[in-house]
Amino acid sequence: MPKSQYVDPGKVFQPGYVEFQSIPMCRYNKTLAEEKKIYSKEDFMRIYHDMRTIREFETMLNEVKVKSEYNGVKYNNPGPAHLSIGQEASAVGQAYCLDINDYTFGSHRSHGEILAKGLSSINKLDEKEVYDIMKEFLGGATLSVVEKHNHTGNIKDLAKDFLLYGALAEIFARTTGFNKGLGGSMHAFFIPFGILPNNAIVGGAAPVALGAALYKRSNHKKGIVVANSGDGALGRGPVMESFNFASMDQITKLWGMDGKYSDEGMPILFNVFNNFYGMGGQTMGETMGFTNPARLAAGFNPDQMHAEKVNGYDPLAVIDATTRKKELLVNGKGPAFLEVATYRISGHSPSDSSTYRTQEEIDAWKAVCPIAAYRKKMIEGGIATEAEFDAIDEEIIGRTTKVIKLAIDDELSPRMDLEKNPDMVSGIMFSNQSVKSMDPEREAEVLMPKEENPRVKQIAGKARYAFDENGKAVPKMKLYNVRDGLFEAIIDKFYEDPTTIAYGEDNRDWGGAFAVYRGLTEALPYHRFFNSPISESAIVGSAVGYAVAGGRAIVELMYADFIGCAGDEIFNQLSKWQSMSAGILKMPVVVRVSVGSKYGAQHSQDWTALCSHIPGLKVCFPSTPYDAKGLMNAALNGTDPVIFFESQRIYDKGEEFHKEGVPEGYYEVAFGDPDVKREGKDVTILTIGAVLYRALDAAKILEEKYGISAEVIDTRSLVPFNYEKVIESVKKTGKIIIVGDAVDRGSMMRDMASNITEMCFDYLDAPPAVFGSRNWITPAFELEKYYFPQAEGIIDVISEKLMPIPGHVTTYNETELEHIERAKKGL
Amino acid sequence: MANFVLMPRQGQSVESCIVTTWHKKVGDTVSVGDILFSYETDKSAFDEPSQFDGVILHSFANEGDIVDCLTPVCIIGAAGEDISALLNAGGASEEAAPAAEEVKEEAPKAEAVATVSESNGERVFISPRAKKLALQTGVDMTKVVPTGPHGRIIERDINKALDEGFIATTDAVEAFLAGTLVIEEKAEEAAPVAAAPVMVPADDFRAYDEEPMSNVRKVIAKAMHSSLSEMAQLTLNSSFNATALLEYRNKLKAGAEALGLGKITINDMILYAVARVLPNYPEINANLVDNKFRKFKHANVGMAVDTDRGLLVPVIFGAEKLTLAEISAKTKEAAGKAREGKLTPDEMSGGSFTVSNLGSMGVESFTPVINPPQTAILGVCCTTNKLGADGKVYPAMGLSLTFDHRAVDGAPAAKFLKELCTALENFDLLLAK
Repeated sequence: MPKSQYVDPGKVFQPGYVEFQSIPMCRYNKTLAEEKKIYSKEDFMRIYHDMRTIREFETMLNEVKVKSEYNGVKYNNPGPAHLSIGQEASAVGQAYCLDINDYTFGSHRSHGEILAKGLSSINKLDEKEVYDIMKEFLGGATLSVVEKHNHTGNIKDLAKDFLLYGALAEIFARTTGFNKGLGGSMHAFFIPFGILPNNAIVGGAAPVALGAALYKRSNHKKGIVVANSGDGALGRGPVMESFNFASMDQITKLWGMDGKYSDEGMPILFNVFNNFYGMGGQTMGETMGFTNPARLAAGFNPDQMHAEKVNGYDPLAVIDATTRKKELLVNGKGPAFLEVATYRISGHSPSDSSTYRTQEEIDAWKAVCPIAAYRKKMIEGGIATEAEFDAIDEEIIGRTTKVIKLAIDDELSPRMDLEKNPDMVSGIMFSNQSVKSMDPEREAEVLMPKEENPRVKQIAGKARYAFDENGKAVPKMKLYNVRDGLFEAIIDKFYEDPTTIAYGEDNRDWGGAFAVYRGLTEALPYHRFFNSPISESAIVGSAVGYAVAGGRAIVELMYADFIGCAGDEIFNQLSKWQSMSAGILKMPVVVRVSVGSKYGAQHSQDWTALCSHIPGLKVCFPSTPYDAKGLMNAALNGTDPVIFFESQRIYDKGEEFHKEGVPEGYYEVAFGDPDVKREGKDVTILTIGAVLYRALDAAKILEEKYGISAEVIDTRSLVPFNYEKVIESVKKTGKIIIVGDAVDRGSMMRDMASNITEMCFDYLDAPPAVFGSRNWITPAFELEKYYFPQAEGIIDVISEKLMPIPGHVTTYNETELEHIERAKKGL
Repeated sequence: MANFVLMPRQGQSVESCIVTTWHKKVGDTVSVGDILFSYETDKSAFDEPSQFDGVILHSFANEGDIVDCLTPVCIIGAAGEDISALLNAGGASEEAAPAAEEVKEEAPKAEAVATVSESNGERVFISPRAKKLALQTGVDMTKVVPTGPHGRIIERDINKALDEGFIATTDAVEAFLAGTLVIEEKAEEAAPVAAAPVMVPADDFRAYDEEPMSNVRKVIAKAMHSSLSEMAQLTLNSSFNATALLEYRNKLKAGAEALGLGKITINDMILYAVARVLPNYPEINANLVDNKFRKFKHANVGMAVDTDRGLLVPVIFGAEKLTLAEISAKTKEAAGKAREGKLTPDEMSGGSFTVSNLGSMGVESFTPVINPPQTAILGVCCTTNKLGADGKVYPAMGLSLTFDHRAVDGAPAAKFLKELCTALENFDLLLAK
């Protein structure tokens, strides 16, 4: 909400029309004679070669699936194979125009795109570059397999073997594959050739690709990003969010900051391979109403995203269109959109019997096969002879046969041996690195020295411990609080790591809905700190892509309840890319989410359990300024994705535990290390998040009223988690209650109770008790005490389940009978 | 009012003690502080003073009997007082009964379940922690009032019964938990059955006297067996030129009295040297427990002492900081206490290394057995004459170092032994350090 832009009621109500330009459709009409001026014979032949390579590769996979045999080689592949027979010209045409610096992201049907981009890159790199890339990759493991079986002495020829073999070994889950077999058919990629992750989630790659483009845009890197998807993906919200995010006005209108920085548009091409079917649903005529995807794209900005439809069965038409789109992006006119009309002759997968289309339709498309048509055109145009094409075919069949033999050889291409090396997967779930700057060569772009920042100056005058020398509470306004702790860690990282960016809703100017970012607007240019559209999928998904491309991102979802809006991006993208890439990728992304209060059912939920459930995410929930700063430092200095829970109840809490105050300098609170906030001997209270302060109130009452000494341990983080301190405490007290604001059912409290029971059974005087919120919606603020755990309730549960407290009168009904009844009702 | 006198528990690991001597007998009048009886733990001897004024009305144990800790040894009360209720209750004191009732009034839940004794034969619900504590302490489970959820016995219930002095045998607790305890038998159970001598004709050459293994012997047996079965022990033998050591010892002999120093032995000097060298070898000055090294910050050197009861190993703590005279004084004190059976368990635990000296018995070389969980032990052997490289005969004192190969490799162990030999050969220089 920049003040520089005035929303003028006089203009808002002016009559007129929103005008659209006509969208070009299949306007390519160059003759071969014209094309001969652009392409050499070698170029023409390479286009054929690349299309034919894809066709053979996909045919081979289809044969293996359908007949368990290709060209006399027997093999059974239980994994997926989503083939793109028929779509070769679309992929090759696109890749032809792209350079090494240009990235492609794709879908679950991307074998063709991978091979096309790989072949294009091999052609563009010189021999030494190609060889070095191959030699360096996985310590030469992949290269050594193909090198022994290629005697041409030709590096480019070897590189083609390498590309086909790396992709196929990946599809067949071999350790010599591009991602050691952990990605598989739908997730394969090879960054050195500019092939970025493909995605098994329909439309999943769009926000990720957007993030890679954002990385290029914010860090002034060369190259464009192509986000490939099918027409079916246009039904997905994250794709629409990405179109909108890439088209934001601010990129060209505000990010330049009066000429100080670049005002170029987002360098991304959204490329839709329109094959008319989203699996079996026909997007034109059945499941969607846009008729042409290009129509949809045209609505996103006044440039209509330069939307155009091109004939995807003519590689030369695709090259022509893609070249023009790339030129627009390079000239700062992005984003762009291209609809490449094509057709998948093969089924969605080999098990697809094409019940949704007629044989007549398939035959009609076979009749216009892009490869056969191109070959015919070339022969008729006198470019080459049948014999020359036959020679290419023979070479490709030979290469494909050789590669499958290598890829199915268990000696040369072993699978991971999880018996001998049981940690091969667990060892890559997290990268666990400590990296101060993702780009130490560059200076961070900032608008002022840090010490001149108004927020930094304001914090300097605050008390870093909650009580003065007489033990009196410091007034709130003068007290360094949780939001100050978060801010300090974040601004430090912005000045240290030039790649660090932060965005989310209402971040700039407003300073975030809860004022954590107040002061950052003055410190940072727009391209490092900006307001995003209300598009949680695009926010988190783009952060994933930003990290994949090499940067560090802090994104904010405001309320934790909005995690659901970014479900796929958190649960399938953010969490999985480090391990699906076999540890090649790092994911330094912090997702800040805040647990609300006073805001009712859709704004008050602690969803730590949802995030902790997904392997690959680190999860923390600090409750004190010291822990907030220390954990944020650890999160930001790390290379793993962190879901950083905060609580709106306690942003203004001062530091009540570290008497020396929150350190001004750098320190980390290690992930996984719980903290004893109060020592005791009779009962342990383990807390998750802001409930810590209610637990401490309960401990005080227990001590003063009943002479029971409670030990209070703050989990601080949930994944990872070291149980040792908790076990020690339980050995001492024999009793433990786990409390948190999440609903009881399926919570991390329940998970921990189960673990503690197993770990400390012989020391327990009662089964661990759990006290979370009721399995309801969150009621209004005035009724919250019936919903969230309170100090009195904690004592009730202790008395009811751990050790009946003589003289204690219960406030809440937490009896076992009641719990059985509630469970019967699903409550 | 009559009171039970319970067998005290000296240290966590002590389960039972032997009544060695009765200093008073049934019918004697006693005052607070009078020694009632002497008893031994597996490692030490103690006297039990009376905490009551009165007459010994009943004794549960004879000399030589083994009595479980925290179970009654005798009853002291007023002359002529009727103690049949006490005897019948099998360990419950008169005053304890109303106390149990008070508990009932305080805790409403107790009403439904009363005391556990009423649930005899039915399943007893008890938390794992409370069960563990009950077995450790030998609480009288019939007197435990459950106050936990579902009428479950929880830790505090056991502690309350213990505080009130309700003690039974460990066997009785197990029996109770198994649902088979008959309370009246408890008093008999508590009294150990003396081992009946094996009757054989007097002229039978195969005749023998069968004696139960003493507690000290049992402990030694267990420790030695586990030491050899659980560790990878091997012994290095070496010797050093003891000329300097013996010369210094002679000097001391002559001048010690004048300087007010006590008698300083060769053993003291070896302990002194060991304590100075040990800190340079943290893995030897260590315990290995559950795959974790406890590398001690001080040299706590154990000294094997032969006593009538068996081998005892008092520890000289922080020996690396003690002067030779201080070490000498401490070893004398410890050896004296060991022989009198006055060492407390604390004085015999926490050692980081042990020295065992069989030199005075003429042993030339032996294989000392490590005192677990330590990682090494030094055996000191006698002096023999050896021919030096210079053709002269010199007195060589043997050293045998046994080490746990799981914890220490051969090379560092040998290095330690060499450094020790060098230190002893240059003992006068060592003193200057």
